[in-house]
Amino acid sequence: MSRLFVPDPPGEETGSTEADVVIVGGGPAGLTAAIYTSRETLGTILLEQRQCGGLPLTTDIVENYPGFPEGITGSDLVARMKDQASRFGTEIVEFGEVERTDRENDRIVVAGSGREYQAGAVVVASGSVPKKLDVPGEEEFVGKGVSYCAVCDGPFYKDRDVAVIGCGNSGLQEGMFLLDYVRSVTFVEFLPEMTGAKILQDRLRKREGTTFLLNHALTAIEGEDFVESITVRDRETGEERKVEVSGVFIYAGFQPNTAFLQGVAELSSDGYVRTDEEMRTSAPGIFAAGDVRVKKIRQITTACSDGTIAALSASEYLRDGRSKG
Amino acid sequence: MALLSERDAQVVREQLSQLQKKIEIRAYLQKINCDSCPDAEAILKELSGLSDMLEVRLLNPQIEGEEAEADSVDRVPTIVVSDGENSRARFIGTPSGYEFSSLLATIIETGTEKTSLNEKSADFLGGLEDDLDIKVFVTPNCPYCPGSAVLAHRMAIASPRVTSEVIEANEFMDLSGKYEVRGVPRTVVNDRIFVEGALPEDQMIEALDKALAEGSEEQVNLMELLQADQGE
Repeated sequence: MSRLFVPDPPGEETGSTEADVVIVGGGPAGLTAAIYTSRETLGTILLEQRQCGGLPLTTDIVENYPGFPEGITGSDLVARMKDQASRFGTEIVEFGEVERTDRENDRIVVAGSGREYQAGAVVVASGSVPKKLDVPGEEEFVGKGVSYCAVCDGPFYKDRDVAVIGCGNSGLQEGMFLLDYVRSVTFVEFLPEMTGAKILQDRLRKREGTTFLLNHALTAIEGEDFVESITVRDRETGEERKVEVSGVFIYAGFQPNTAFLQGVAELSSDGYVRTDEEMRTSAPGIFAAGDVRVKKIRQITTACSDGTIAALSASEYLRDGRSKG
Repeated sequence: MALLSERDAQVVREQLSQLQKKIEIRAYLQKINCDSCPDAEAILKELSGLSDMLEVRLLNPQIEGEEAEADSVDRVPTIVVSDGENSRARFIGTPSGYEFSSLLATIIETGTEKTSLNEKSADFLGGLEDDLDIKVFVTPNCPYCPGSAVLAHRMAIASPRVTSEVIEANEFMDLSGKYEVRGVPRTVVNDRIFVEGALPEDQMIEALDKALAEGSEEQVNLMELLQADQGE
């Protein structure tokens, strides 16, 4: 049986809207920041638009987070982080979307879903969502063969042939999960080499029913009512070929959730938040952590590291009377 | 072994303390030919110990035939959430994983006087001239599913014109096949209006309103309807 998920709803009348620190986002970065600020005895509210957990919620198994030698499911790992943040007093509000951030005197206002929260410092850990590839057929076949969540939709493809687009850690890990159900997985990677962990590559190469098309671009997803095939182009020879599949699972990068920060803190051209090494953004009192930042390595461990630094920087900022930032 | 940690059990107790009226959960289960019934039973037994306002009745549709018929039960497990009068929201399959949160939200919505829907949705439901039968296909490991599941159930609880079923798609592949489920959440209204993915409440109501106003008998994809509007 899947672990029973218990949400933390907004505390309607009783929930506070004033805090020392408001954390936006309940993935590993935000939850780690919450553990640290709560242990600094700073009043902490964490806002999460759905349920806490972030991207690991859609990850079957996590094998590279230290301390779990046998691996742990993504949802169990983040459930533990959430319990830990709650234990130290973080007030967690789930199912509340953040729509805007403003500054009012020395307070920062975070608003959305009909509520307003005020804090001395804010940690933005709002993460990212799977990126769409914008190839013909992608939009049309969502729910008809195109999926961004193998753990959600994998069982519908029992004994069928599917493709996984993107051979980073996510693509390889979820491809491994899919192999428990499907007949075959064709992995398509745009780059000449896979970027996911070598151990995953080795395991998958040993499995029956796997094909790897490296240096290939997905150019179309086709079918009548449901996905029947994809077309890929060999980037070296330019040759195109069709691969018959019933499902296409897309793990080809992410885009950041930063709409509510537009005009407030400096963002990169593709929307990620710029920070310094102390996780300070261009806006005093606003810190950022995890996948939402401009950075190269996006792992659960590095998200936790960012969360730690952002929390302690926020704590220092509040302690120093907001003179830094 | 307890299914919920002590902390989770405490959160559930606090949430159930909002209940203003007694809630009866009629769980139709059977010992044979139902792999998931033991899990459903364990979940509901655990839940029933967390509030005096909650009564869980375990029923066998073969034995308690009359009640099963009154609840239109045609498969197990079927879990009907009722305040005695209103029994329009139900789960077909085991509410484990993320769907446990949907079950909890449904119990609270049924057992409190105030709707959690916004004014626009309430207006839409108040103006309904036809009945709506909503089916939401979910899987327990889908973090996006409770949004769609709970919205459908809230609509059913708020309006006597709406009935809703949240269906565990893996457990009932025959229904998943019939309703062409290849991804979750998939919401199907009156067997012809559908949407893939979790639409926010405002968009769901707006699109549903348009789809019903068109009055056609054709299949309508709500997402396409919304995108067409944006393109205008």
